[in-house]
Amino acid sequence: MTQQFNIRRIGNFIYRDIVLLRNTIITTLSVVGALLLFFFLYDLRGDHIISEEEFASNFMKFYVVLGILFTFSIFREAHHKKSNLFYFSLPISSYERVTAIWLTTSALYTLLFSVFGFLIGQVAIVLGSMFSETNFHLLPIFSESYWQGVTFYFFIQPTFLLGAILFTKNRIIKTLLFVVLLVFGLFIFNGILFSIFNIGYDIFSEDQIVSNAFSLAREDFSGIGIFLFVIIMVPVMLLAAYFKIIEKEV
Amino acid sequence: MIHFKNIRFYYPKGKTILDDISLDFVPGNIYGVFGKNGEGKSTLMKIVAGLLFPKSGKYHVMGEAMSRNTVKYLQHMFIVPEDFELPGIKISSYEHINSPFYPEFSREQFYELLKEFKLSPDEKISTLSFGQKKKVLIAFGVATNTKLLLMDEPTNGLDIPSKSQFRKIMASVVDQGKCVVISTHQIRDLHSLINHIVILDQSKVAFDQPLSTISECLWFGKTRRDSNESIIYSEASFGGKTILSRQDKDETEVDLELLFNAVLNEPVRISNAIKNTHHDSAV
Repeated sequence: MTQQFNIRRIGNFIYRDIVLLRNTIITTLSVVGALLLFFFLYDLRGDHIISEEEFASNFMKFYVVLGILFTFSIFREAHHKKSNLFYFSLPISSYERVTAIWLTTSALYTLLFSVFGFLIGQVAIVLGSMFSETNFHLLPIFSESYWQGVTFYFFIQPTFLLGAILFTKNRIIKTLLFVVLLVFGLFIFNGILFSIFNIGYDIFSEDQIVSNAFSLAREDFSGIGIFLFVIIMVPVMLLAAYFKIIEKEV
Repeated sequence: MIHFKNIRFYYPKGKTILDDISLDFVPGNIYGVFGKNGEGKSTLMKIVAGLLFPKSGKYHVMGEAMSRNTVKYLQHMFIVPEDFELPGIKISSYEHINSPFYPEFSREQFYELLKEFKLSPDEKISTLSFGQKKKVLIAFGVATNTKLLLMDEPTNGLDIPSKSQFRKIMASVVDQGKCVVISTHQIRDLHSLINHIVILDQSKVAFDQPLSTISECLWFGKTRRDSNESIIYSEASFGGKTILSRQDKDETEVDLELLFNAVLNEPVRISNAIKNTHHDSAV
């Protein structure tokens, strides 16, 4: 029996997506590369170095937005009336498809864009050392801000991946609306929980004790809370994307 | 290979496109699926390809009941749609990124067919005409060597020499034990190719017979006005072409266009003529 999950097919699918988006990727990287180079050269003023934080600051200007745009563009074929038939009749299972897309738009994208950012930064340092007093140094990239940005991207990206397959028109706007509604829904959910637990004690949200309690809870449990949130949220979004792909008709 | 039983399909809030469709597609045959515009030919092809899911009914593919596509099925099926857009990359790149998904794909065959269609692997697909793009897709589809090849209006956009090339290629394909299903309304382009005819009318299968049975049961030609033979169907506008029950007359070439019109206008008489002949020969 043919396997429904095959690493080689996932690799082939990732390669196929990258070849199909090659021109878009090259054009985008050319523009972003030029902008990054400008920002890095700007950072070399004064102290003649690019610090970890400066790298993270410039990197994050593009990383999340480009990642989201990349996630939407990878589904271009799936939504195109005249090419979606080839996309969905390709011999690859829905598990493999979601895995390949997620790997491409999260892990592979992060890795390659980090390398790209590093190389541009390094070019800026080389240029700086040629035309100013900058001493050649290796660009440090792994700062706390960098990892926070990457974590944030890995957390929100599956939601945009779901939006990219779920909606056929005005996909980005609709996904943003979906995210706003999701946050609003969570806010209401929290409100309901708060009411359920506190209504018997005559405590209202505007009371100082509530503010103190929230601050304390954030300090004590935010790490666990975020971890649980990521553990639940990311797989749920990927699972929803998987089911949407299964149900997709052409 | 594919067995449909009582398949029904409709779009939400739309009319029924396919109603109670029961069909079998068997290897070694080239099926011609005919029908007027909007009768569900393309929908049927998409259901066979697993790109649309029937609302009710059962379908078995290669002996297994299907509800959703499996990789195994998709590896043995390729569809050439009527209207499509290929990526703006070189033909060789197109082959390079898509062929690894098909285990039986033959690169030699693909490049041989390209040569036959007078196309170069280095040409960019975006610079090709629609007919040339269709040739790329037909060549790719044939070279996948899938057990099932679905083609929706394959001769649309092809020039006259390419149509005969296409017929030649398809005839060689079916020799290899594949099942080819061609949906078209260009009956004349394919009359020498297909060996089984399916006609859809009013969302149902109006006719489903092998060409051999049709030749055995029906006679196509012109009869004298004073002929007292019972005419099943006749068209004055085509110079008095008629369909008669063959009985002991010589076998004639099946006139698909006439048969198609006859099935739409006189479905019961056509069906009875075939049934009676078969019954007689069985007795």
